[in-house]
Amino acid sequence: MENINIFSETFKQIISEEVKSVQLDAREKDEDSSPSADEWSTSNDKKSCYYCRIEFPDSQLQRIHYKLDWHRYNLKQSLLSRLPISEEEFSEKTGNDDLSSISGSDSEKEDTLDTFAIAQGKMFLRNKDNKVFSLYKCLMFDKKEEVSDDSVLDRLKQCSISNQQWTILMLGGGHFAGAVFKGTEPILHKTFHCYTVRAGQGGSQSSKDSKSGGPQPKSAGASLRRYNEQALVQHVKSIVETWKTEIDRSSLIIYRASGPYNRSVLFGGTTPLLDRSSSKLRTIPFSTRRATFAEVKRVHQLLSSSTIYDCLEAATAKFSKQLSPDTESKRNKVRASCINRAKSREIAERPLPTEHLNDSDLELEVDENDDINENVVLSTSELEIPLNDLREFDDSLTPEQRKKIPKKKKPKKSKTKKLKEQEDAKKKELIEIITNGDIKKLTILLDDHLKLTEEETEKTSDEFINKIVDDESNTLLHVAALKEQTNVITFLLENNANPCLKNKNQQTVYTCTQSKEVREFLRQFARDNPDKFNYNKAQIPINALTNEEVADKKKAVRKIKREKEKEKKKENEIKKKDEDEKQRFLKLSDREKRALAAERRIINQFGKVTTRCFLCAADIAGKVPFEYMQNLFCSMECLKAHRMQKPVLLS
Amino acid sequence: MALRAQFENNNEIGVFAKLTNAYCLVGIGGSENFYSIFEGELGETVPVVHVSLAGLRIIGRMCVGNKHGLLVPNSTLDTELQHIRNALPDTVKVQRVEERLSALGNVIACNDYVALVHPDLDRETEEIIADTLKVEVFRQTIASNVLVGSYCVLSNQGGLVHPNTTIVDQDELSSLLQVPLVAGTVNRGSEVVGAGLVVNDWCAFAGMDTTSTEMTVIESVFRLNDAAPSNITSDMRASLIESMS
Repeated sequence: MENINIFSETFKQIISEEVKSVQLDAREKDEDSSPSADEWSTSNDKKSCYYCRIEFPDSQLQRIHYKLDWHRYNLKQSLLSRLPISEEEFSEKTGNDDLSSISGSDSEKEDTLDTFAIAQGKMFLRNKDNKVFSLYKCLMFDKKEEVSDDSVLDRLKQCSISNQQWTILMLGGGHFAGAVFKGTEPILHKTFHCYTVRAGQGGSQSSKDSKSGGPQPKSAGASLRRYNEQALVQHVKSIVETWKTEIDRSSLIIYRASGPYNRSVLFGGTTPLLDRSSSKLRTIPFSTRRATFAEVKRVHQLLSSSTIYDCLEAATAKFSKQLSPDTESKRNKVRASCINRAKSREIAERPLPTEHLNDSDLELEVDENDDINENVVLSTSELEIPLNDLREFDDSLTPEQRKKIPKKKKPKKSKTKKLKEQEDAKKKELIEIITNGDIKKLTILLDDHLKLTEEETEKTSDEFINKIVDDESNTLLHVAALKEQTNVITFLLENNANPCLKNKNQQTVYTCTQSKEVREFLRQFARDNPDKFNYNKAQIPINALTNEEVADKKKAVRKIKREKEKEKKKENEIKKKDEDEKQRFLKLSDREKRALAAERRIINQFGKVTTRCFLCAADIAGKVPFEYMQNLFCSMECLKAHRMQKPVLLS
Repeated sequence: MALRAQFENNNEIGVFAKLTNAYCLVGIGGSENFYSIFEGELGETVPVVHVSLAGLRIIGRMCVGNKHGLLVPNSTLDTELQHIRNALPDTVKVQRVEERLSALGNVIACNDYVALVHPDLDRETEEIIADTLKVEVFRQTIASNVLVGSYCVLSNQGGLVHPNTTIVDQDELSSLLQVPLVAGTVNRGSEVVGAGLVVNDWCAFAGMDTTSTEMTVIESVFRLNDAAPSNITSDMRASLIESMS
């Protein structure tokens, strides 16, 4: 087996005279298709099953047999004109496999070498020396053309010997790559790229535009892509037109333009670049990568190579080697077990269909590996290591020296510890002083501190005064406030202790204490020294009122309250009076009511008089009264009640 | 007796009628001619009933039955089923069958004792057939055809099968069914015998195109002519031999 270029002299010799296409597993097919003769015949006894090739001693067994699955399966087999299987075979089949095979209707086409070859776009040819070689079918025939032995040789010679000029055009994803080859050498080539593919979603802009029903996207990117698509068409057109003579001269035009958009670039428009009906036109029979010049060269190299086998057997063997591992593994996987859909599927690494075509490359690699293996000669040799002279490891330090090393570090640690302890003690002392309200001691301590740090800057007093004394990060002021030592607080504040500092709970001096005294004291301090600290930050309300002011306010509020109460009383009295009057009116007899009304009317002429409901005595002055038998009522309810009380007897 | 009949100028009378030893179903036609032929011949012995199944009149292909029962497809309407139940004798069980192959007449061929069925018929249907029709069920093909109901006509006396059935097959089938079989045609050469012919034990109706030769074959295999072999050689033979042996 060897790979040669079809433009080479050796290939010329191979195809010099006679070439015929061959089928790889033609022989096997013959065996299969030849119907095995129906030699089975029954004896005169008619108790038999023709389909299952079996005889029965009595009709009972025969009847039972006809109800078996095995019989049914053989029935199906005979319908498909296949040979029946024996009972053992059947039980094996059903034992291993699921019962679905009983239907016997699986007409799944077997994967033969030929179908595999067709899928790869290859065809096998034989010359008169019985040498078999494979090459891409597309060199001779178009996809839909039937393979005919008569025209194979002519066509092959046409494209490989008499006219070695091929054009390859690849178009896709905004990439264009085209080249015209003469023999193995490219004589013209051009590649370019336009931004036309929508980066996020994929697909060309024009297809998106035509797909979406709504308004077309107006983004800058969309319009850019639309423009670029136009530009790409123009550009390809100009290139192909300048190459026109060379393309016309070439024996094959091999193109890749997947999708309607890319095809429309080559074949669309009023004057298409390429003639769709041209017999030279071929598509690339394998998948390709991005359209680049390198890819075009690879395509040309693959298409123009041919694999030569010594005989048909060798070809079959070699080719089936390529086929078998893949398919075998695939089948095993499918059968393996049910798929666990909860888990994400493992990613199967699949080679490009073209890649296993490069068996020449593969072989080269293997050869190289072989070379390396040959150059490096591996051998084993025994080596004895004596164990007699073994000693402990030496140590350069004496035990005393070793002891010294850790000792050096200890004092440092203890120093810091001591300092800390001192500090803690000091803090405790301070807290005690504050709780006792001992200002004298505090002043002494402050002075001591100032003396100690005389040379340093002014901040030193702050350092002492604003010292944090306990775990809650309370300052001296906090402590004093908590202990309600107002004296200490004044002392500290006068010595510039900052009331704005917060403890761990984010409380200032003012907020940390609940005592009213301390708070009042702090407020007073703030009023007295309005500019000393930022009282806003210290959360001390400056605008708060003093006690006297508060008392005044309270008085005022009480006064207002009292007035309101008085008013209420007055209103109540008026209401009571009204109510009393009503009661009195209700107690009156009808006659008296009328008299009263008349009286009121008279008074009304002089001034104020109210009209009242005849029944409930409600004031209906100014309202439109309901009238009945010359009496006025406030509402229909009253009128009705009156009528019910005193029904008018109709005579 | 074998008669010729036609359903609205159509010779495939097996499509529009179903004949058994206990009843006769006839599709509802435009004229009563077809019905009256059956009524005239069978009226005194078995009920002849106008029937539609799922609104269709191709009842011969839709249902299957014998003297024990009647199976109708799932698409049968309730009113139709009720009508059939009312019209048929009480001894006849009527059963609806949920079967994918709903043209039961095409996939099942039966007499009162055995039934040949399509190899792909449901197991459940097979059981229903055995229970309702009280028959032994065999999955079989006839001349490599799975539509046994279309290519085979059976009565308790004999059977007519597809003309291409091999001798071996015929022998096997007849040993299975325990009735004599003949390969033949109806309607001047039509091999779809099920569609061209309906029979019971004493009567047969064939399409109007059926030639007299075909009629003779039919009459002889179904033993319809009075000149049939005497009872001693036919009906009583098996019992006689059994008792003698």
